[in-house]
Amino acid sequence: MPIPINTGVVGKEYPPWPVTVERGRIKDFARALGDLNPFYLDDQVGAASEWGDIIAPPTFAASFRDERADSGALLRDLGVDISRVLHGEQEFESHRPLRPGETYLCRTKVLDIYEKTGRSGPMAFVVRETAITDRAGEVVATMRHVTVVRL
Amino acid sequence: MQYGRVYFEDVKVGDELPPLVKGPIQQIQLTRYAGASGDFNPIHQDDEFAKAAGMGGVFAHGMLSMGFVAQALTDWAGAGTVRKLGVRFAALVRLGDVVTCRGRVLARSSRADTHLVDLEVWAENQRGEKVVAGKATLALPSRV
Repeated sequence: MPIPINTGVVGKEYPPWPVTVERGRIKDFARALGDLNPFYLDDQVGAASEWGDIIAPPTFAASFRDERADSGALLRDLGVDISRVLHGEQEFESHRPLRPGETYLCRTKVLDIYEKTGRSGPMAFVVRETAITDRAGEVVATMRHVTVVRL
Repeated sequence: MQYGRVYFEDVKVGDELPPLVKGPIQQIQLTRYAGASGDFNPIHQDDEFAKAAGMGGVFAHGMLSMGFVAQALTDWAGAGTVRKLGVRFAALVRLGDVVTCRGRVLARSSRADTHLVDLEVWAENQRGEKVVAGKATLALPSRV
């Protein structure tokens, strides 16, 4: 029997959360990918660049989390266990690179949940979007995240 | 070409990215990526957990492969050029897999001072199976 999923979560907006980008986190993230680009790792190269500092790699915002909240909120809302989830799709739209020392505000909303039956059985697709704004309220980046739940 | 800089005028539709080969994927890289990204799903760390979940064992974070694809783009065009990157995770990447990231220019367009290049991007394993597939848009500098 497939497990049920709480589709009532569609439309839910999570409380906005601030993220201050730490220099070391950018470097750890780039190094974890094995990406040794000096524009991410070398403060001197960053200082001499058009941005005046190092910048974050394109997928860095995936590491943004609400440090005040527990990490299981979405799964609890959906009523599913972490062992059933897979990452289906991910999209980033970036207006300018994320930089160390900046504080951004992130707002996540559940846009849609739809079900499909694949080769491995019934699945639900949970679509979330996170808007990332700077102190002036301008959108710097947007992430779209599709989580697959094996039902 | 590592840490390159590509100008809009030098890009043609049909051009291919220099392939970026990553791996073989080791557990330590998944552990390191978990720490760096904050994604501590045990399915990427604990083989018994992954087997009990019906996944046949540990596999890599999709975001690790997506990060590799992003690197293929920035190694070619330069850091800070990626305006859009969207992918579907098509197959699991397992320990020992070698991931090769590729891309091809689909279109180019200019509006005012912004010069954009659209690409299809993908990553494949050592058997040639696509593990990631998607599209990217880069903003490139102009020579003029």
